[in-house]
Amino acid sequence: MRSGELVIETHGLTKRYGGEILAVDALDLNVYRGEVYGFLGPNGAGKTTTLRMLLGLIRPTAGNATVAGTRPGAPAGLIKIGAIVETPAFYPYLSGWDNLKVIADYCRVPDGRIGAALDQVELTPRAGHKFATYSMGMKQRLGVAAALLKEPELLILDEPTNGLDPQGMIDMRKLIVELGKGSRTVLVSSHLLGEVEQMCTRIGVIQKGRLVAEGTMEELRGAITLSVRAQPSAQAQEFLTRLLGAAAVTGEDGAFTLRVDPARAAEINRALVTGGIEVSELSSGRRSLEDVFIELTGTEAGL
Amino acid sequence: MTRVLSVLNGEILKLRKRPAVWICIAILVLILLAFGYLIEYVIFTYTTPATSGPNAPPPGTPSYKVLKQTLYPLHFVQNTFQGVAQLGGVLAMIIGVLAQGSEYGWGTIKTAFTQRPRRLEWLTGKLVSVALTVLLMSLVLLLMAAATSLALAAIDGADKTWPATATIVKGFLATWLIYSFWAFFGFALATLFRQSAMAIGLGLAYALVIEALIFGLLSGFVGDPVRRVQQWFPLANAGYLVQSFGQPGRFRGEAAPYADATHAVVMLSLYTAAFIVLAAVLIQRRDVTS
Repeated sequence: MRSGELVIETHGLTKRYGGEILAVDALDLNVYRGEVYGFLGPNGAGKTTTLRMLLGLIRPTAGNATVAGTRPGAPAGLIKIGAIVETPAFYPYLSGWDNLKVIADYCRVPDGRIGAALDQVELTPRAGHKFATYSMGMKQRLGVAAALLKEPELLILDEPTNGLDPQGMIDMRKLIVELGKGSRTVLVSSHLLGEVEQMCTRIGVIQKGRLVAEGTMEELRGAITLSVRAQPSAQAQEFLTRLLGAAAVTGEDGAFTLRVDPARAAEINRALVTGGIEVSELSSGRRSLEDVFIELTGTEAGL
Repeated sequence: MTRVLSVLNGEILKLRKRPAVWICIAILVLILLAFGYLIEYVIFTYTTPATSGPNAPPPGTPSYKVLKQTLYPLHFVQNTFQGVAQLGGVLAMIIGVLAQGSEYGWGTIKTAFTQRPRRLEWLTGKLVSVALTVLLMSLVLLLMAAATSLALAAIDGADKTWPATATIVKGFLATWLIYSFWAFFGFALATLFRQSAMAIGLGLAYALVIEALIFGLLSGFVGDPVRRVQQWFPLANAGYLVQSFGQPGRFRGEAAPYADATHAVVMLSLYTAAFIVLAAVLIQRRDVTS
């Protein structure tokens, strides 16, 4: 259980469309100051709907949320939040600089911030060009620059690497990690496990509108376990169960996972061999996030 | 209030740099100059009306010499109205539609609503920017008409007397009111349909067909009772307001407007206010899902 200052807190947050479609179902989300929180789920799980509710773009059917100390959509909260929802949306006939100027005017941010934000995403050389001429990667970076204009304490980024080429994805991930340093909080939604694994300090997994798991990477992947391959299978299972207890042993067909202290590897190996059981592999490790995700959501989407 | 002014700054930047706005204003000015002044000037100066046959003007039609007087400064306000009240309205409607419809089309409405201002503050700033744009449009139109009429009078060595200041001011305000009505009509339609195409289509249908055609046809059959109903409709009131400035003398025997200018101003103002309220309710209550 984590403690600290909550930057985003939702209780029973629910969004129902037309009485039939339940997009978000009683979501209890907790995001703490200073963390890079990965909001992970397959496409259509309710991630974007949740983010829209957190930003006040759509109203929840039930439940409530507090974001940056205010209710969603309140000016006092919005001034502390930078956000990209789905694709970054700007005026195609305006230059990158002019687009940021419009946003700076909306937020009453000094024009001096525009250059700094453009520098931060390395878009200064193209600042005078029309947004319509930008590549997808440049559009995403302009979106991040717009989000940074207010020097926000909370960044909400919805699938920020969507549509980017591999190099663009790497650059964006680096940028997000950089932005998440210090006391700034970043909530980043994604359906890409690898991405979340590389960027985030804590993860919430959403499936069919419900938060099915929330915790640090270690918490989600569980304790370190020992993996053993041994034959004959039935004899090995019986031997291990007797040695470690039934609760600590899972597996079949000669491949077993042992929930024990990895320091006991040598002891277990010696016992198995002494008992006449042939050990072909013995290693320690954690479940991958991929295993956890598939177990929680039943999908392999976005792996 | 400060937040509204901040939004207004951003909105003015957006409209100022949008080519479509300048194209609409340029089209309006070009049409006024071409059809309201230059073509008529050429006809009245270099041609002679037929005196008999099917092309002869009806009895009582003023001579070209008299008609040409309407192109000089004294009549520039009426001449502007005659030329482009309806067309200018349609172009103002397009400006209103684009100002709002594009926000949905480009998804920028979500960008706007995740910044600082409240939704109604954003809407107020936006509506003021549209009103200022049609004010500029009205001003440019009247200035161009005045300059052209002065140039033509100078070429002909004719009377360069201007209309009374009160007439010019009223003419400017009336133009602004009519164009604002149309712009906010377009703005409300774009908000309602969350897009530009449907709003422009329906707006044009109303401007060109629905009111004009239906009441035009019905009045032929029923007459006065239809006009009594029509006086509550916006296009009719725009017409009353235009007619209240008088005809520049081209045709005699024009019927007096069915309702006076005060009625027209009140009705157009009420319609404009209704469109603003409609847009405000929709903006405030609706989820942003685009």
